[in-house]
Amino acid sequence: MSKPIDDAKLSKQNVTIEHEEAGSILSPLKALQFFMRKPVTVPLEPRPAADNYRGFHLNDHEKCIGCSSCQKVCDNAAITMVKVPHLPEDPINGVRNLRPAIDYGRCCWCALCVDICPTSAISLSREYVHTCTQEEIDSYFILPDETGIHGEYYGEGWQKTNDSDLLDLNRQPMAELEAEERIDNFNEIVAGYTDQQAVIEASRCVQCGMCHDACPTHMDAPEYIRSIWQGNLEDAVRWIYQSNPFSHVCGRVCTHRCEDACSIGRRGEPVSIRWLKRYAMDSVDHERIKQIAAEGKADYLSGKQIAIIGAGPAGLTTAYDLVRKGHQVTVFEARKEAGGMPRYGIPEYRLPYDMLDQDIDVITSMGVKIQTGIQVGKDITMAQLEADYDAVVLAIGLHLGRSTRVPGADHKQVRKAIDLLRRTTDDEAYEIPQKAVVIGGGNVAMDIARTLARQQQQQFGQVQVTVTALEEMSNFLADPVEIKECREEGIEIYDARGPQACIIKNNKLIGLKTWKVRSIFDEQGRFAPEYDEQDEQIHAADMVIEAIGQMSDNNLLGDDLTEALEWQRGRLSIDGQGRTSVDWLWAAGDCVNGPDVVHAIADGHRVAASIDEWLNQQ
Amino acid sequence: MRPENYEAQRQPPSNEYELNFGPNHPGIEGNYALKVKLHGDIVLEAKADGGYLHRGFEKLMEQRLWIQNIALVPRICVPDPSPMELCYSMAVEELCGLKVPQRAQWLRVMQLELSRIAAHLFTFGGHAATTGMYSTMYWGVADRDLLLDLFEEFTGGRVYSIYNIPGGVRRELPEGFLQRLTETLDYIESRLPDYDNLFFKNQVFVKRAKGTGVMSREQALEWGVTGPNLRATGLAFDVRRDDPYLVYDQLAFDIPVEESGDAWARTLVRRKELMESIRILRQVVEILPDIHGPIRAPIPNPLAWNVPAGETYTRVESSKGELCYYVVSNGGPKPYRVHVRGPSSMHAVQVLEKMSVGSRIEDIAQTMFSLDACPPEVDR
Amino acid sequence: MSEGHSSSYDRLKSKKSLAEILDVAIEFERTARDFYTDLIPKVSKQIRYLVEELAEEEQRHFDLFTELKNRPDLEKQVQTLVEIPASDKKFSDAIHLPELGDRPDDQSVLQYALGREHAAMEQYHALAESTGDGPIKELFQFLANEETEHKNQLEKVYYETIHSGGV
Repeated sequence: MSKPIDDAKLSKQNVTIEHEEAGSILSPLKALQFFMRKPVTVPLEPRPAADNYRGFHLNDHEKCIGCSSCQKVCDNAAITMVKVPHLPEDPINGVRNLRPAIDYGRCCWCALCVDICPTSAISLSREYVHTCTQEEIDSYFILPDETGIHGEYYGEGWQKTNDSDLLDLNRQPMAELEAEERIDNFNEIVAGYTDQQAVIEASRCVQCGMCHDACPTHMDAPEYIRSIWQGNLEDAVRWIYQSNPFSHVCGRVCTHRCEDACSIGRRGEPVSIRWLKRYAMDSVDHERIKQIAAEGKADYLSGKQIAIIGAGPAGLTTAYDLVRKGHQVTVFEARKEAGGMPRYGIPEYRLPYDMLDQDIDVITSMGVKIQTGIQVGKDITMAQLEADYDAVVLAIGLHLGRSTRVPGADHKQVRKAIDLLRRTTDDEAYEIPQKAVVIGGGNVAMDIARTLARQQQQQFGQVQVTVTALEEMSNFLADPVEIKECREEGIEIYDARGPQACIIKNNKLIGLKTWKVRSIFDEQGRFAPEYDEQDEQIHAADMVIEAIGQMSDNNLLGDDLTEALEWQRGRLSIDGQGRTSVDWLWAAGDCVNGPDVVHAIADGHRVAASIDEWLNQQ
Repeated sequence: MRPENYEAQRQPPSNEYELNFGPNHPGIEGNYALKVKLHGDIVLEAKADGGYLHRGFEKLMEQRLWIQNIALVPRICVPDPSPMELCYSMAVEELCGLKVPQRAQWLRVMQLELSRIAAHLFTFGGHAATTGMYSTMYWGVADRDLLLDLFEEFTGGRVYSIYNIPGGVRRELPEGFLQRLTETLDYIESRLPDYDNLFFKNQVFVKRAKGTGVMSREQALEWGVTGPNLRATGLAFDVRRDDPYLVYDQLAFDIPVEESGDAWARTLVRRKELMESIRILRQVVEILPDIHGPIRAPIPNPLAWNVPAGETYTRVESSKGELCYYVVSNGGPKPYRVHVRGPSSMHAVQVLEKMSVGSRIEDIAQTMFSLDACPPEVDR
Repeated sequence: MSEGHSSSYDRLKSKKSLAEILDVAIEFERTARDFYTDLIPKVSKQIRYLVEELAEEEQRHFDLFTELKNRPDLEKQVQTLVEIPASDKKFSDAIHLPELGDRPDDQSVLQYALGREHAAMEQYHALAESTGDGPIKELFQFLANEETEHKNQLEKVYYETIHSGGV
């Protein structure tokens, strides 16, 4: 580091020293002139501090989400998060009722808490006087609010600026196939993170755990993100398998509530938790994942048998948990292959089925038996299951499509999205329409529109797909990314269009008539569509696909069981543990809780725990 | 077992005695003590005692995240905290390969020189007080306060500015700051003749300081003396010029030296450095408005920041001498080892112990203040 | 289809006394209530809540309208003649009970109920429009609001059931 010292510079310098001669003995007396000057007096009131001053804390309790990043960065452990009961506690939106209380015996006013705060709720004020008597010695431990520590606002001092912000608000970009590269095939669009990107992205996390609280299955996201950052990917997989045996699936298509709750997302882009999970899962060898998943599996058999109807995420998660606890599980699947809605509802460009196969392979390697092509209610009855097994779980999902039932909707060229998606997965041929109109604004509508667009491109060399939805673009139910990618792929989206009729001429479907939706919800937020009948459009089509909603096919239960069960507004009535009113039957997943893969997984864990507890009591 | 049943053992008669000079003594700088053995007024032996107040900084730093240490290091030297922040930040920057933006480097120079002026004013005040000239102390502390006002304005803190952060600095200058800086500099400069009359040319001071605490250049080099204390022995060595950091190589300034190596020479060097610092600051005021761009290089999330494994040694010229940080990282989120080589540990231990011998007890305080030692830096 | 319905339809077409109008309204609610009550055992238990709720709601209206008619402060006015607006096709459609089949599903029941509430709502609105200010207009407005409120409830149920939350 140090350069050799130049000899020339070392030689002494001849600076003229005016002080060589000491002054006159009287020179100090010159200071007497100051007696003539007006004395400087300082007022007794506290002097106003500078705009940047680092005084006592201010904390905007409305803005603060209780993430405790301030506590983590505090140099002196001066910050304690305390529960403030009257404040909202809302894990889904990433809000806790914790707020920082500060021990001013420890605080050093470095303001790192301000610079790291994800919400910019905390700042320092220009207030700097605090005294107390012996009796009030505890008053140095204070919960500041937006007025400061004495309820008297002295003005903002040190606040977060772009210069001082310590958080990286931008996520690592994800490499994706361009529209022209992906439109004629079902190749996966998202490339996944590189090693370097993953580490950088993982380093953005402040470990607040909002993601964990918001996740339906409470994945240990802070822990696996930390493991990824540390480069310990096996450990990351170990954390992932604590709560989610469908992580190849969730790493790709999860609805990522975690990211919606992420505190970095308050001002910037949330940490890409979903892609990080995918990265960890993709990086570890499949056989090694199997070993990690098998850690902690019971080394005995309980002798109990459980039947699960439906090999989707809910059913297989239940099976995975129960097998780990030593029970024997048979899963009955009506379709040709296991996987449920991820296989039969999600197109391969979003979820390559061999990744789903890997998840399922881990589960079957644990000892779960899956019988495919068995229709309960037809090939085997519920009564038989009740007789042969100790417990039965209904996890049949939502595999029936709803229809708008507008005039003409019973035409054979008016199809349900869920049927077409299933046919695509099972390679069952159907006539690809040259012009397709999709009704619906959710993710299923986007899935079928994009699937048809790819098939049209393959067959006709061009895309002619139109999506019409009741909702306005700002209220679309589909993921914004889906909408963006739809448009890139040449799919036209018409928002706020209400389907009125399928137009049929000479027995041939020629299009869909829609009216403009003026408003869809009333002031109370209730569904009350108002149409502008003047604004009518005919969308030309030789196939109309309805993708508005789905329901479960409960016919397999049979009339007697249906009567015996309690129902709650059209859905099976279950208790908090997923158990129905019949003591041997549990229900999990979309069929009871509505569509969402990660919810289904959470359900699976809950039901498995309930069954295990019940079996152990017997 | 009553004592009267035994024969008392008497010490052989002696006119040597021991005194604890400090830690509670108006003539001692900070929380520090010298155990002195005296014969009459003459010191026969002195043993420095770093005390128990400021200690363990280096160990504490191993327990803190890289970023958290920026709030800790200024405390190692209270009167001149800015070089601490800078030297630590430079070490982390070097380990991480961070490139500090130009503007941040100029702002750092500004902070360092302001800190140097403030530290020198403080030292004069203390030094004058040891010779009973309290007016100088009042003046020095009052004028230092004007500089603290500036610190408050641009860093948010009066004493511990905590302005540096690895990668750059934390704040842009407030509106009109350079104007106020110029006004303060003008004022300080206008005050210097008053200081000269009251203190530097004061016969009471000159007579006591001349010939007190003398060391030769050879002794100084042997004892590891740096900074104004070394320059007072006639050796013009200054890290700012001889191993330039920040933008010091773009600034014009002289390095004052004195020959006599006594308390008088050391004080005079500092007095001249005040002028040089003002000169540097005037250049900064001139140039800074033309330096644009960011004030900090992007740094990782401080809660997830592993500094690459390695070790580095950085040094800067503090008001007291050469301040160095030796920082070792094992690639983890906290430093593996930090060593602070502050100038005061040499000045206040081996130099002071040796210089005191043979001097009169009333000169100990003056010697110590002329060495400008900072006790927490000794027992860091 | 019961006799009562076609005759009440005829009566609504002409100029009627308020008493007559209320009679038709009460009859309208009663037949609907009976229609839904008949459906209860027929539909799958899964959607039984729907027809049960509809029957309950109609019963509530039936009680409310009956009470209105018997209110002493309206006694003098029940003989007032009211101008009936041009016959509302939708209202008449609604009064005809549809063929929902032996085991109607939730969507058919909801669609029928919605259509019926909508027609009633429009009819009472029209009656209120064609009546001068006063307690009778307020009465019609009240009836219209009741039906609107119920229709809004049903639309919410329809959206949640059929458009199942953004699949």
